[in-house]
Amino acid sequence: MRSPHPALPDAPRHGGTVLDARLHLLDRQLIDATGDPVGIVDDLEVDGIETGADIPAGTDPARVSAIITGRTVLTRILGGTPPPARLHTVPWRLVANVGTTVRLSDGDVSIDTLWVEKWLRANVISRIPGGRHAAE
Amino acid sequence: MRLSDILGAEVRDSRDHCAGTVIDIRLALDRDLKVRSSAPRLVGLVISPRTRSSYLGYERTDARSPLLLAAVARWLHRGTFLARWDDVARIGPDTVALRDGYTRYSPLLRGDD
Repeated sequence: MRSPHPALPDAPRHGGTVLDARLHLLDRQLIDATGDPVGIVDDLEVDGIETGADIPAGTDPARVSAIITGRTVLTRILGGTPPPARLHTVPWRLVANVGTTVRLSDGDVSIDTLWVEKWLRANVISRIPGGRHAAE
Repeated sequence: MRLSDILGAEVRDSRDHCAGTVIDIRLALDRDLKVRSSAPRLVGLVISPRTRSSYLGYERTDARSPLLLAAVARWLHRGTFLARWDDVARIGPDTVALRDGYTRYSPLLRGDD
């Protein structure tokens, strides 16, 4: 069978582990240091690119500096950009592992993205008899 | 700048001809994924002249089966290529400009480079 890209040369080796952002990072679940899910990767912050400005030859590659996570469901469906208050920035230095999930290490960033869980706890679970304390 | 500002951007060559759409961004981690890594480097843009989306990355593998699926994915994504960072002249807003004489590389993912 023919190669899917028969006429194109292989790119030179990049040095390091190669991954595609959309394929390997976006929508992956974020797991904190205690093993709890704290959100998904909604976007990435890229440093080293000035919008619309020429990139001089030989410029060092741009780098991913942070993961953006937050409440983006509506803007994904309807378009637009969520307000910054709905987003959390997780510095890349806190990323411990990238696999089927993105694991974070201990850090000083608090991710408060489980608002649905908190709302359900306050407005639904707490109204169920016995719902205000842990099971004994 | 955010990744979402680049994905979906129209790509134009030095003669202002449309070369396609950015469907993904290729990154390289300096160290193994199993350990804490430094910030990933942007090593290139995956550009498709025909689609604005990917098919689960199928077009970036050399998978040959299932035969029908492979054939359809290959046909839909024919012409997809990787432009290296060195060949990117300008990014945004909404467009990416490539340098004169840029090289189209195979978009195949090879894992550890």
